Amino acid sequence: MKQTGAEILIATLAELGVDTIFGYPGASSLPIHDCLRESPIRHYLVRHEQAAAHAADGYARATGATGVCLATSGPGATNLVTGIATAYMDSTPMIALTGQVSTNLLGSDAFQETDIVGITMPITKHSFLINDVSLIESTVQEAFEIARSGRPGPVLIDLPQDVMAAVVTERITANRPSPKKDHYTSEETIDRLKKIAKHLNNAEKPVILIGGGIKLAQAFDELQELVEKGQIPFVSTMMGIGSLKSPHDLNLGFIGTHGNEPANHSIHRSDFILAIGVRFTNRSTSIVEEFAPLATIAQIDIDPTSIGKNIKADLSAVCDIRKALGILSPLLEHKDRREWLSRIKKKHELMERDDKSNGCGAAGLVVQKVQENMPEGTIGTADVGLNQIWTLRNWRALAPRTLITSGGMGTMGFSLPAAVGASVGKNRCPVIAFTGDGGLLMNIQELATVGFYQLPVKIVLFNNGHLGMIRQIQDLWYGARFADSYLGNHMNFTAIARGFGLPAAHVSAENPEAGIREMCASDGPFFLEVEVDCQNYVYPIIPPGRSNVEMIYDKAT
Amino acid sequence: MQEREHIISMLVNNRPGVLSRISGVFGRLGYNIKSLCVAETMNPDVSRITLVSRANSNFTEKIKKNLDKLIDIVEVKELDRGESVSRELSLLGLVLTADNRPDILRTVDLFGCRILSITDNYVILAAIGTGEETATILNYLKAYEIKDLARTGAIAIEKGGGSRD
Repeated sequence: MKQTGAEILIATLAELGVDTIFGYPGASSLPIHDCLRESPIRHYLVRHEQAAAHAADGYARATGATGVCLATSGPGATNLVTGIATAYMDSTPMIALTGQVSTNLLGSDAFQETDIVGITMPITKHSFLINDVSLIESTVQEAFEIARSGRPGPVLIDLPQDVMAAVVTERITANRPSPKKDHYTSEETIDRLKKIAKHLNNAEKPVILIGGGIKLAQAFDELQELVEKGQIPFVSTMMGIGSLKSPHDLNLGFIGTHGNEPANHSIHRSDFILAIGVRFTNRSTSIVEEFAPLATIAQIDIDPTSIGKNIKADLSAVCDIRKALGILSPLLEHKDRREWLSRIKKKHELMERDDKSNGCGAAGLVVQKVQENMPEGTIGTADVGLNQIWTLRNWRALAPRTLITSGGMGTMGFSLPAAVGASVGKNRCPVIAFTGDGGLLMNIQELATVGFYQLPVKIVLFNNGHLGMIRQIQDLWYGARFADSYLGNHMNFTAIARGFGLPAAHVSAENPEAGIREMCASDGPFFLEVEVDCQNYVYPIIPPGRSNVEMIYDKAT
Repeated sequence: MQEREHIISMLVNNRPGVLSRISGVFGRLGYNIKSLCVAETMNPDVSRITLVSRANSNFTEKIKKNLDKLIDIVEVKELDRGESVSRELSLLGLVLTADNRPDILRTVDLFGCRILSITDNYVILAAIGTGEETATILNYLKAYEIKDLARTGAIAIEKGGGSRD
């Protein structure tokens, strides 16, 4: 049977379970698009390649499956770069397919030629340039294996046009070196876990710190069992949010610069921290010298380079997190920690009572009201900046994978395309894309995609005419000199959204109810512009160079 | 922290781009590569890379972990000087004159250098030795005009076939 390279590619992708690709065509990738047209794989046409990468990322974060994006050579490929880096920083399993000029033109500065393998080397887990049609099947299989095994990450496959167009009469499969096996459940690892369990049992004031690794290992049930059995309070990093039922009694919120006060305080006073799937980034720890000064720190991660990378780990185990928690839970003893629990929970409850918006003002309450009006299971995506913190502090992730944000990279413009991917991945599930006026403009073209496919993506734009978080930083620590953070109030975003064909409404953060009701009653896409005061900041916040417990509550302090 | 030389030995898949990924790791972590030698092993799918870098003692753990994450690295080890043997090959081109000719050619007896090419006024010597021996030969010859020098840098393997297990 005659087959082209592109046909082999698509057949292999389908065999690997790929049902969706987000992409944008160009001359070099045309053989692939031509073949996709009649394949069982659904191609979603985004309006900018960066959005294709973010959508594949959002798809992967919402489903746990590997996301796939496709771009043409040259500018198509380079437009993916921010999206690939975003996926890399948050360890999303993703495959980026790029068209490439024909092999005989490689290195000739041909039209739309770029060395995308070279450009993306530091931001991919691995990459391939396929220069032989016989290597397509095995390379794609290997790429998927690499993307989703161990600590997941993006893998790029560069596909020259002639290799995609080449015709073979039979499908040849070449042997390639098999990827590394994980060797992490050795006797030694089990001993290390036993030692961690012993310390945890002896601890008076233990805290479990969870990171993005819980989601990546699909260890939701195991984590729930661990915290409940040990009655151990837990906190998370930004990426750890949504790894457990958030309204859980033992959940103290997330740590770091913009985190929850009880979370930061519990870490500071704890005598033992079990860190699972975290890398202790500077946004989580603030100054490392004063992070968890009283605690013995145990770290479990599948990536050996994460152990002790930023914070010294007194105990550690390199292991698949799901397996590790399965070994740890049975070793936990019931212990009376009522005093420790009541002390930190009391503070938590007092704070919640005193400020219903969690330090986010009217904007934070909007997030809560939106969620109250949406069906259970609605996914929230947050962009970057104040809108991100308002969302993370106020959206209750009632199930795993229902709150999605760019944590490590902090990519503005992420939430809208990620919402497209999440909705598509979860069978057209409703998704709220929270964003700000700065972030929206970075990928505003995706309003066209949302309208074109009539996806139930509801964009909540917090419009404060500013780069709000930058403004807050300038207000607090740059003598209120607002350099280049004023975007202006001259734009009519509601009219722009309508111009893209979306129903839209405009409300104020103080009186948002009518708009929220209208948005939540609509089945398809909706655009809600919420006008927010530019001084609606987030408090408490940790000043630069200070520890996690030196937070300030207003400009005066 | 004290800096010293570290010998890193790697077995890697013999594929395009592998060296670029390895040097990328060194560059990103801020370590300079002092010497580097790559060649196929008996299995043409696998190459051995011997690399020398000067760094503090944090280096080994950090670099090893990060190299080990690369998909195409089969094995990575730091070699202990006592438990391994290492040699370096140097090719030296020198201008011969009536005056210096006897002294230069004495290196054949003194250091076991081989003459690879010789004309009336130019000689190419090959010298094999440990790092220290190579330094000694270069020190002896630097009194004469070394016009050209190519060094492989260290290649090394473990005693007792360490990398086979």
